[in-house]
Amino acid sequence: MEPGKRRPLEGIRVIDLTKIVAGPNATRMLATMGAEVIRVEWHDQRALDMLRMIRPGVPGGDPNSLNRSGLFNNLNAGKYGITLNMSLPQGRELFKRLIAKASVLCENYSPEQMESWELGYPVLSKINPQLIYLQITGMGKSGAYKAYRSVGPTAQALSGLTHMSGLPEPMPPAGWGYSYLDHSTGYYGAIFVLAAMMKRRRTGRGCYIDLSQTETGLMLSGTAVLEAQITGKTTARYGNRMPFVQWAPHGAFRCRGSDEWIAIAIQNDEQWTQLVEEMGSPQWARASRFAHASGRKTHEDELERFLAEFIKDYDRYELMERLQRRRIPAGPVQNAADRCERDPQLKQRGYFVPLPQSEIGTWPIEDFPAKFQNTPISVGGPPGRAAPLIGEDNDYVYREVLGLTLEEIAALKEDWII
Amino acid sequence: MTTETALSSALEESVVIELGDERGEFAGMLLAMLGAEVIKLEGRHGSKSRAMGPFVKSEHDADQSLYFSRYNLGKKSISLEFEHPAAAAVRTRLADRADIIIDSGEASDVAQRLKLYRDRQNSNPRLIICTITPFGLDGPYRDLKMTDLTQLAMGGVMASCGYDPRPDGTYDTPPIAPAMWQAYHIACAHAVLAIFAALHFRELAGIGDFIDVSIHEAVSNCTEVAIPSYIYNQAIVQRQTGRHAAEHPTRPWLRRTNDGRYVKAFMFWSRHEARVIGEMLNEAGIEHDLDSDTYRELCERSPSAGHSHLNGLVDRLAASMTADELFHRAQAKGLLWASVRAPEENIVDPHFRARGTFQPIDDPVMGRRLLYPVSLATDGNKPLTSFERGAPCLGEHTREVLSLLGISEAESDLLASQGAI
Repeated sequence: MEPGKRRPLEGIRVIDLTKIVAGPNATRMLATMGAEVIRVEWHDQRALDMLRMIRPGVPGGDPNSLNRSGLFNNLNAGKYGITLNMSLPQGRELFKRLIAKASVLCENYSPEQMESWELGYPVLSKINPQLIYLQITGMGKSGAYKAYRSVGPTAQALSGLTHMSGLPEPMPPAGWGYSYLDHSTGYYGAIFVLAAMMKRRRTGRGCYIDLSQTETGLMLSGTAVLEAQITGKTTARYGNRMPFVQWAPHGAFRCRGSDEWIAIAIQNDEQWTQLVEEMGSPQWARASRFAHASGRKTHEDELERFLAEFIKDYDRYELMERLQRRRIPAGPVQNAADRCERDPQLKQRGYFVPLPQSEIGTWPIEDFPAKFQNTPISVGGPPGRAAPLIGEDNDYVYREVLGLTLEEIAALKEDWII
Repeated sequence: MTTETALSSALEESVVIELGDERGEFAGMLLAMLGAEVIKLEGRHGSKSRAMGPFVKSEHDADQSLYFSRYNLGKKSISLEFEHPAAAAVRTRLADRADIIIDSGEASDVAQRLKLYRDRQNSNPRLIICTITPFGLDGPYRDLKMTDLTQLAMGGVMASCGYDPRPDGTYDTPPIAPAMWQAYHIACAHAVLAIFAALHFRELAGIGDFIDVSIHEAVSNCTEVAIPSYIYNQAIVQRQTGRHAAEHPTRPWLRRTNDGRYVKAFMFWSRHEARVIGEMLNEAGIEHDLDSDTYRELCERSPSAGHSHLNGLVDRLAASMTADELFHRAQAKGLLWASVRAPEENIVDPHFRARGTFQPIDDPVMGRRLLYPVSLATDGNKPLTSFERGAPCLGEHTREVLSLLGISEAESDLLASQGAI
């Protein structure tokens, strides 16, 4: 980042009461844009991010350390970290002082937690009318399920995203192999906060954002809801095939090696003709039933069997190169090792950014996936580093942000409040 | 909707020009949702996405695509042939009036179009241009031909999604792209984030920006633990049925219920959960030993064996009731379980009705009103966003927009006769 350039969210302070992935992903975006994000944590189950304690961890070091999780390091880059015992009244009073000095609060605790501490939006907005309060829950904070508890997979199930993913019945849903809705809800949480800031500039007032993970999943369910209203039929699964356009073959095909696959998507007759030529124009591929898109779609099972036989002995990268030379959409199914070690695109675009963390040293962190000509953003945020250690920035926040004295800070530590 | 907090007007004075193909349509829709005036440039024959199903009745009618209706809510459509020589003056005036231009497609096509308008940032320095391309505008993969499927493959999503391996650890099922268009959803969310970053920077610096979004990088950024597992532990996560890919096999989450459906029973395998499940088994009249010394001793001797035993009882519990019954009973006891629903099943659910999750939007061409799942947040009472209109018919706003640009009817007629609109 160009030295001295003003970051887009310069001067924006975000109090971060988030855990796991959804909330931290939202605040990660804001930190990348230059907001001063202060993670508030405590050494109890309610307030400690469980990601600090799960694999993958950096090998070696103290096995009980809370600062060695790789996923936590990736998701919380660019933030500050403090400890604050919110279950004590003194802790909550200190929290209110932080709110008075903040622009934004992001939180994704259990649905009723903040109210139980008497820290809901009605209370906090009286302290700071300009506050933008983003609350992320599984189902939303109103309606019949407002107290229901959720993690990403729960919301994925209810929203339809699990049902839609996978091979057709009688196979069960494959669902998502990770918490897609944690990632996505984080994106939309950050988008809503950024939009609310635009609006606040005009009105001078903050707002409350009750963001639902399940509703985010519904937003991402494509055309399923519309089609079901037209046809009256339940949404079906279709594996890797394309049900909406006559694109065939359209799927993942096994290549040489252990669990190595290539995805191929034929969108038109010209691409099919090119594929047939690349295969050496075998007799089966010249059959008239495969000549046009509608025929290929009708005979997709048979088509896939033939194609799988052709592909199975190829190296997936070699085949990608051959097919791409003929302008056929094709790409290997890349796992993490492939992306880290074999992907020249990610390497050349500087996708992995080395950032220091105070206990584990410097590790690669995934960057924001866009290049800007003018806007200075940095995944290391204002502190220019990966994730904070637990309580790493107590001195900075309590002294410089809240103006406490060294004696006051020592007393708070002594009383198990910070 | 309370005007004080509604975010449908957050971008009310912003004009967005949308160029390109289906890769960027969701970004334009999100900006329209937040109040921007989004003008979609389609050409005289309409966007490619008008030919993408599912269709209401016939795929030959450009206004019958549900795909187009879904991803172009709230936009205006002008049938301008953007690269037509006679359209130069319109291009100039559009770019000079715009706050944001979104341009999506293959990098070579986008680069070609940029030659026609990139220099408008000289006369309109506040203009923000955001391109959305498969790999960004540079790099060795820049010109690879991609679709949503191949992006999900190369970006790492498919490697984490699918079915359990066989007992010997090998797979007889392919990696799965978890429903279509998710690569574009992911990229467009990042494009909107990037645009907001540039809008906030513009408030500080007074200048716009040029943003180059890579779909590949966006998808790569959305694979959770896969990358850290490799970076920190050189481990590759293995795909599993209906649950997270993991370095080592984990116990199932999906449970078949007695109505032939599934519940996703997400568990931490804690003692608390075992106690709650014991209560649920009692209520369902199913015999169990979860409160016995035998079970406690089994858990102490072998936690894995204890979990296996509990796992079998959860299966029996699920098989004793319907998916929705189990969902509500489990949630009432604080378990993080949910029924696996098709998205449209939520239309009639009182929870989502109360929250206004599905917005009714009239479509004059279809002649009916459909419910769109487009609200994901409330202000505590009502949706924070809504759409003022559905997707446009092809060229519905051509004359209106040209008139706003100061182009007379006679000039518009001339453009039409020249084949530019």
